[in-house]
Amino acid sequence: MTIKIKHLFMIGITGLIAMPVVSTSAESEDLIKYRRGVMKAIGGHMSATSLIVRGKVPHKGQLKQHVNAMKMLTNDIPALFPEGSDFGETRAKEAVWEKPEDFGKAANKSNDSITNLLKAVEGGNDSEMLATFKKVGEGCKGCHKDFREKE
Amino acid sequence: MSRWHLAIVLCLFSFTAFAGEQEQLILKGEYLVRAAGCVSCHTDHDNKGAYLAGGRELKTAFGTFYTPNITSDPVNGIGNWSDQDLVQALQQGTAPDGSHYYPVFPYTSYTKLRQEDIRAMATYLRTVKPVATKNRAHETPWYLFRWIMAVWKWLFFEQGEFIPDPKQDKSYNRGAYLVAIGHCTECHTPRDAKGVLDNERYLAGIKDGPHGEAIPNITPDKKTGIGRWSQDDISYYLKTGERPDGDFSGSLMAEVIDDGSRYLIDDDLGSMALYLRSLQPVVNPDFVKKKEKKKAAEDEW
Repeated sequence: MTIKIKHLFMIGITGLIAMPVVSTSAESEDLIKYRRGVMKAIGGHMSATSLIVRGKVPHKGQLKQHVNAMKMLTNDIPALFPEGSDFGETRAKEAVWEKPEDFGKAANKSNDSITNLLKAVEGGNDSEMLATFKKVGEGCKGCHKDFREKE
Repeated sequence: MSRWHLAIVLCLFSFTAFAGEQEQLILKGEYLVRAAGCVSCHTDHDNKGAYLAGGRELKTAFGTFYTPNITSDPVNGIGNWSDQDLVQALQQGTAPDGSHYYPVFPYTSYTKLRQEDIRAMATYLRTVKPVATKNRAHETPWYLFRWIMAVWKWLFFEQGEFIPDPKQDKSYNRGAYLVAIGHCTECHTPRDAKGVLDNERYLAGIKDGPHGEAIPNITPDKKTGIGRWSQDDISYYLKTGERPDGDFSGSLMAEVIDDGSRYLIDDDLGSMALYLRSLQPVVNPDFVKKKEKKKAAEDEW
């Protein structure tokens, strides 16, 4: 009998110790899933924007909507990378957490470049649009170069 | 006009013509240094190293290498090299003192460079600002002596300039040349245990790259390669880093683009794309599984 109680007690203790660990790791996986989702969404809008700006498809009426979406989705990129979301299914480099200031700067630069593109879209000047769009791409690439591993 | 006047005018004329030619040669050399992807490895971007002053750490299965300084500094760089020294280094993998380079320096690809192009590169490199960054010794396993490389070369190194395919047009051959000297194959083609490229699977990608990451199959296979990318998609990607799905390449490929391919003119990028599109599509089984697994997981949802 005592053995059984001790046994139960041990299970209980183990459970109490293990629980936060389990829940933290689950949470971290979800954070990563969310981040990937948002990044994919940005990529989708980027692809659409690119095709319109480069004159490959005629959907010019949709352009503002795509750029707007990108602007909102990139308002706070560092928030997508909280502490503890640095392990598991992620290609984020350690530099994201080791050099938060550089990362923040790069993220802001990207968001600013999208704001400029949005202004150009609202202004309706094609060459301005192409030039600002190029800057957006450079921002994406710059950040991925320093802060993301290849597949 | 007196004879003296005429002589002076002729002298000035030939001098300006020479200066113009020299200028052209330097520009051509710089373009080729970009196209051959020299800059990423010979510049230590991570530690804010000077342009082409070397020092970049390259971790490989055969030890850790530190790229040398190739600025015009006569002591630490290659300021004292003749054109022929550079030809020998790039085409044969042999240093001016006769020692053999480790093939982490991709002379296996650079051997395809035309001599006249290497001379242009040498002319340009002599104009690069000298920086006195000292070269760092490689950290290689004890058995990897320089002289072993002579044996390695004898067994595996095929020396020879690029030979255009007479059955193909100019653009195809230009693309083939640029893909060769851009040494795409060094990362994108799988290797065997001896470190030799498996040309049966030319450019078909690998599962575990130098940083443990997958390197994509860039043959036109529709399922596991870039067969769904148009020629324009490929050249636009090499210019900007933007993939057709709106994602941007990071890490090593972003460096290749930033330091190299984005400097190329559209015609050249188009030729590279045309060449890549015309390759034999190769299925990479490592990537098939991955995709099928993904699909199965999606089906469960």
